[in-house]
Amino acid sequence: MNAFDLIQPDTLEEALSLLNTDDPLVRPLAGGTALMLMMKSKLYAPERLVSLQRLKPSLDKVKVDEAGRLHLGPLATLRELELSPVVAQFSPVIPKALRTLSNVRVRNVATLGGHLAHGDPHMDLPPILLALDAQVRVSSEAGHRDIPLSEFLTGYYSTALAPGELITEVVVPPLPQGTRGTYVKFTALSADDWPMAGVAAFVRLEDGQISDARVAVSAATERPVRLHEVESFLRGQRPTDEVLHHAGELAGTQIHPLADIRGSSGYKREIVKVCVRRSLQQIAQTDHNGDGGVTQ
Amino acid sequence: MSKVMEPGVQSAAPSGQVGRPVKRLESAAKVTGRAEYIHNLELPGMLRAKVVRSTVAHARIRGIDTSAAKALPGVYDVITAEDILKVIPDPYYGPAFHDQPILAIDKVRHVGEPVAVVLATDVHVADQATDLVEVEYEELEPVFHEVEAYKSQTAIVHDVIRPAGTFADLKSLQPRNKTNVAMEYHLRNGDVDAAFAKADYVFEHTFRSQQVNHLPLEPTVTVAQLTDTGNLLIHTSSQSPSFVRIEVARLLGWPENKVRVRTAYLGGGFGAKLYIKLEALVAALALITQRPVRLSLTMEEQFYTITRHAATVTIRTGVTKDGRIVARDCKTWWNGGAYADIGPRVTQKSGFTAAGPYDIEAVSLDSYAVYTNLPPAGALRGFGIPQLVWAYESQADIIARELGMDPLEFRRKNILRNGRPHATGTILEDAGTVEVLEELARKMNWDQPFDRGSGTIRRGRGIAIGVKAAVSPTTSVAFVNLYSDGSCGVYCGTVDMGQGSDTAMAQIAADVLGLRAEDVRIIHPDTEVTPYDMATLGSRSTFHMGNAVRLAAEDAKQKIVAMCAEQTGFDPAALVVRDGGVATPDGSFFTFGAILAKRHGMQAGNVLGVGSYFPYYEKPNPETGMSEHITPYWMVGGTGVEVEVDMETGKVHITRLVTVGDCGKAINPGIVRRQLSGASFMQMGFTLFEEMVFDEGQVVNASMADYKIPGFWDLPDINEVSIVEVPHRNGPFGAKGIGETGSLGLSPAVANAIYDAIGVRIYETPLTPEKVLKALREKQGQGWEDA
Repeated sequence: MNAFDLIQPDTLEEALSLLNTDDPLVRPLAGGTALMLMMKSKLYAPERLVSLQRLKPSLDKVKVDEAGRLHLGPLATLRELELSPVVAQFSPVIPKALRTLSNVRVRNVATLGGHLAHGDPHMDLPPILLALDAQVRVSSEAGHRDIPLSEFLTGYYSTALAPGELITEVVVPPLPQGTRGTYVKFTALSADDWPMAGVAAFVRLEDGQISDARVAVSAATERPVRLHEVESFLRGQRPTDEVLHHAGELAGTQIHPLADIRGSSGYKREIVKVCVRRSLQQIAQTDHNGDGGVTQ
Repeated sequence: MSKVMEPGVQSAAPSGQVGRPVKRLESAAKVTGRAEYIHNLELPGMLRAKVVRSTVAHARIRGIDTSAAKALPGVYDVITAEDILKVIPDPYYGPAFHDQPILAIDKVRHVGEPVAVVLATDVHVADQATDLVEVEYEELEPVFHEVEAYKSQTAIVHDVIRPAGTFADLKSLQPRNKTNVAMEYHLRNGDVDAAFAKADYVFEHTFRSQQVNHLPLEPTVTVAQLTDTGNLLIHTSSQSPSFVRIEVARLLGWPENKVRVRTAYLGGGFGAKLYIKLEALVAALALITQRPVRLSLTMEEQFYTITRHAATVTIRTGVTKDGRIVARDCKTWWNGGAYADIGPRVTQKSGFTAAGPYDIEAVSLDSYAVYTNLPPAGALRGFGIPQLVWAYESQADIIARELGMDPLEFRRKNILRNGRPHATGTILEDAGTVEVLEELARKMNWDQPFDRGSGTIRRGRGIAIGVKAAVSPTTSVAFVNLYSDGSCGVYCGTVDMGQGSDTAMAQIAADVLGLRAEDVRIIHPDTEVTPYDMATLGSRSTFHMGNAVRLAAEDAKQKIVAMCAEQTGFDPAALVVRDGGVATPDGSFFTFGAILAKRHGMQAGNVLGVGSYFPYYEKPNPETGMSEHITPYWMVGGTGVEVEVDMETGKVHITRLVTVGDCGKAINPGIVRRQLSGASFMQMGFTLFEEMVFDEGQVVNASMADYKIPGFWDLPDINEVSIVEVPHRNGPFGAKGIGETGSLGLSPAVANAIYDAIGVRIYETPLTPEKVLKALREKQGQGWEDA
């Protein structure tokens, strides 16, 4: 790892000012779990890192507002989200997914903001937040803009973040009553490996009929994506075995998996089909008070 | 004579030290962070080294430009082979062949090969400067697969092959120049053609094992310095300090007494820290700079330093209708990578065990160590045996099922029993082949019905059994020193790398001398202080060093008893050693300290016991590969698993793991149990998902982020270990080695269980979900296309 300057601003304004540069060798540093790996392997050799640690008190809040929206501070650690009663109350799928993410040492330092800004498709929260229609607020010296997460995640390790911008809040709209969700994670190597496929699904059943369905896939694809075709197919259907099977098959036609050491593209497609169907089956089989949780 | 230990049952009398589950002597130091590791060593004025590594698999070096690196502020110097040659004119090293240059000379043979070294006091500066060293390569045709390399006449990794002749068992190596065959071993026992002619069925299969890495959590580290008299002091995380001294002294043309090699606790070894790794380079750097120099590998660099052999095994077996194996012909190609390291020993030691634990009329075995342009391969917890057991125990199940026999019955029918000759011609003695197999059957409830499940999750069970011959011939020497107060120090070169040897050796010495193991101090390997030991490898220490320590303790005991006899006038035979002293027939008791004080008139003196152990060995006949004494003892390990296979994803989950090992006598049952389960878990990673993935010789997943090893969530739901004790006539208290025994049977046991569950046979490890699902879909006629 090369030598670099570490600057630790005390305020968001100061941080945004320090980051207001086109210099690609200046970067913000949050938990550092991904950045340090890239620096150690010399994939990235910054000259200046702007640590966000001192901003944490003002940017790590987790709360639900009067309208029922969940607000997540970007400097909340993954561990804090995992243990937050507010998050668990909003959707138990999030803490359950976090419990399977890497290990507690990583979760103790990795932040939500870094988790999203990294743009790595193998992360666990993006598909869940995508299915929850989360919005990302990004701020710069010029002001701020709100971007739907689906537009924020633009590709393989790329996001809509422009130089000088920081994520300052993640907002999740309230879930309609009766919505149940789950996250199905498939690892091809060890249990604590990054997922080879992740599927988040949220379904609302009314009188035994699917009134709303949201399905997102990550890891197998170059970026987390919503499966809109699958969602529209499901709406109005009863969750029979046949319907859910078809939903899985349909999912397979909607994605373009990338081959890597964890699996061929063909295999990943097969696994996505299975994970989509299983996620829907879990939701359909769960009683009204529970939720599908996370399975590996 | 033999018995099986049940958990929680003590086998030894409470007063004995051998058989006591003594807690590790170093546990408190380790959990409080006080245990000594070379990794933590800093010396005043120390330079740090970073290695410039080859980016290509096979090339001539046209030039190395170090000027930009040297110009970087903070860089002390940049060293290339040219500089090494000034202090070591013939800088090639290796235990079997002197084929590995300290830094690349004229040619590179694998990606990651050390080409130059940058020195700086700040390791980050050195690291940065490595990127500024410009190396110009003229690329040559590379070869990566062992079978292709064996055949290739154009891509030749070494123009000249140079046997080392260091170890007695490798003296007869006959390399073939102008090929990639470093060494070959052939065994011809009986008339194989005639035996195959007698067979009712002949089965032939090819199995492959992938390249994997040891990944000790403490990567290899060496610090070298010159002493006040200009001698070398090398601190190194080595499993073989005695060999390091011999080899560094040889390279320098110095006598051994000018090179001192010491080590400390190792954060794991598994074979990655054997022979010369960084020591020759760091010693040369200390000589060139006249300053202490430290080189510590990163996790990533470990992947380019030493690996486990990938291997292709083609095994042909002839059986009769009633299930007798009558003939076996097995050919193995070992992917040795660019430098032989200890590959030739793997080739020979594993080669001759390809008949397995079976009684076979005629056997023909061919084993080839092949050079390729991959990182070098060496020993990894089993010296190649797990790769062979993978083949012969997978095939055992295939044959049994084809014959309509129960896999256990097939093994029972063919198992090699004590008193019968092994394929090498060595008569099996005191080996628990039958006992391990029967214990495995009992633990697995093999005669009970088994629920194979239905729907998506199918269940299966499988067993496998393997044998390994201990490396021979090897020597261990130990000193036992009773200090002037009667307390005891044991001087032995066995390296405690986490396997618990300090505790076991203390128990052996304590048992002989009537002491508590906790009161015995083990002096760590330091060639200035501790006597010769071949190395800590191949599960040899308990047997060889255990014998040396026992003999040294007996020697000290005899001397202190003689001293007491002289002082008291009793016949030495009437004296009893217990509780740190000698009891006389008149009811008196003299502590060792009191006996010494009486001799010297004050608290003074020592009683020094010396023990040396060297088992009888007969080298294989060059024509037949056979020997009546190929090994001092056999290790026998069996594994049984119950698995769940997900029919939709191919994922295999081991729900129950049973590891059975014959240790002769458990010096420390707790440690034996953990050695067995630890080896089993390690092999589970190699079986299910660990694999070094290469792209043109470059390791694609050279990090712990991408090369995943098992964690707690990967462990089986139920993990059981059974210790079988079939005492060995020559073992200390009957003991045999146990460190690799748990590795032997796991891979085929899992593959056999997968077959039992879903009727699909996998011929290549790792048994990834993709491979399993692909095989299942092919069987169902429903493959998939890549997107």
